[in-house]
Amino acid sequence: MTLSIGSKKFMTNRLLQRKQMVIDVHHPGKATVPKSEIWEKLAEMYKIADVIFVFGFRAHFGGGQTTGFGMIYDSLDYAKKNKPKHRLARHSLYEKKKTSRKQRKEEYNNRMTKVRRTAKANVGPGKKK
Amino acid sequence: MAAPGNLAVLESDLQSAVTLLKNLQDQVMAVTAQVQALTKKVQARAYPTEKGLSLLEVKDQLLLMYLMDLTHLILDKASGGSLQGHAAVLRLVEIRTVLEKLRPLDQKMKYQIDKLVKTAVTGSLSENDPLRFKPHPSNMMSKLSSEDEEEDEAEGQSEASGKKSVKGTVKKYVPPRLVPVHYDETEAEREKKRLERARKRALSSSVIRELKEQYSDAPEEIRDARHPHVTRQSQEDQHRINYEESMMVRLSVSKREKGRRKRASVMNSQLHSLTHFSDISALTGGTPHLDEDQNPIKKRKKIPKKSRKKTGFRRRR
Repeated sequence: MTLSIGSKKFMTNRLLQRKQMVIDVHHPGKATVPKSEIWEKLAEMYKIADVIFVFGFRAHFGGGQTTGFGMIYDSLDYAKKNKPKHRLARHSLYEKKKTSRKQRKEEYNNRMTKVRRTAKANVGPGKKK
Repeated sequence: MAAPGNLAVLESDLQSAVTLLKNLQDQVMAVTAQVQALTKKVQARAYPTEKGLSLLEVKDQLLLMYLMDLTHLILDKASGGSLQGHAAVLRLVEIRTVLEKLRPLDQKMKYQIDKLVKTAVTGSLSENDPLRFKPHPSNMMSKLSSEDEEEDEAEGQSEASGKKSVKGTVKKYVPPRLVPVHYDETEAEREKKRLERARKRALSSSVIRELKEQYSDAPEEIRDARHPHVTRQSQEDQHRINYEESMMVRLSVSKREKGRRKRASVMNSQLHSLTHFSDISALTGGTPHLDEDQNPIKKRKKIPKKSRKKTGFRRRR
C-alpha cells in the first residue's frame, strides 16, 4: 500500500475558523485513490475524524499523483455553519429535502388557485404544510 | 647713516605711512560705531532667531567667533607681539575648516532658503509652487446643500479633491453623446487583414527561421524551445493550477480549452513537426494549401439567436 500523503500551502483561515491546505497524494502504480480512503488516512494522521473535509481531487496526467483540497474546522458547529450543504451531506451531517422541485411547484400552484387577490401574497411554500 | 637716495625714499614712505595710519584710524572708529549699534539692537531683541533655520544660526555664531579671534590677533600684532604658536591661530584654523565643510550643506538648503525669503518678501506662494495644489475639503460639494463647487485654481487641485464630490440631487445618468461613426469594413479590408495575419504567422514559421539563421552572422543558439503553442498552453495551465490552489476551488474546463490542451499535448508526443511544415504562401504569393490530415478552415456561420417569445409573425419581417 504505497500511499503517501503530503500537504502544501497550509493556511489558517481565522475568518472561517478553519485550516485549509492542498493535499498531494502519491500513489504510483495504482488507480486514483477514492476520497474516503484519503479521508481515513488524514483522520489517522491528525487524530480528529469528524471535522476534516476533503474535496476536489484531480489526478495528474499519466497517473501516480493526485491533488485535492482539505479543510479542518475548529469544531463541528463551525463546520455546520460554514460548509456548503452538499459537502456536509457527503459526511451525512445534513439531510436534503427529498421532494423534487417539480412537486413543490405543483403544490404551490394548486394552493395559489384556491385563493383570490391579495390573499395570494400570503400563500407560502411552507405555510400550509 | 642712510645714503641720500635712501633718505628720499624714506621721506615719501613716511608721507604715505602717515596718511595710511590716519585712514586706518578713521575706519576703525566707523567700524566700532557700527558694531556698537548692532550689539545694542541684538540686545534689544530686534533679531529673534529661535524659529529660524539652525544651520544659519550655526553659521552666524561661527563667523562671529572667527571675527573675535581675528581681532585678538590684530591686537596682539599691533602691540608688537609675535603670532608664533598663538592659541587664536589654532582656533581660527578650526573654525575655517568647519565653515568650509558647511558649504555643501549650504548648497542643499539653497532651495528652501530661497523659497522662505521669497515668501517672506512677497507674502504669498509663487505661481508654480506645487504646494498650491493641496486638497481642499472645503471645496467639496456637500450632500445637503446644492452649492456649486468653487472654481479650482489649477487642475491639480480638482484631481485631488474632485473625485469625491457628490451631486446634490440624484440625477439620472445620461451617457455623453458622441457622433456615431459608420462601421465600414469592406470585403477588401477584411482580406487585407487576413493576409497580414497569415504573413505574420508565416514569418515566424520554422522554415523562415532556419533560412534566417543560415544567412545571419549571429552565433547559432541552441535552445530547449518547444513549439510556441505548447509553451503558451503550459503557461496557462500553470496559471490555472496556481489559481485553483490558492482559491481552493476547481474551475471547469470548456470544450475549447479541452481541445486546446489535447492539441498541445499531442504536439509533444507525435513526430508531427518532422514532416509537416507551416504554410508560407502568404510570403510567396501562392495559394494557401493544407496538409491532408489537417482540418479545413471553417468559416464561422452567423447563427441567429433564438428568441424566447413566439415571434413567428415578427420573424417574417
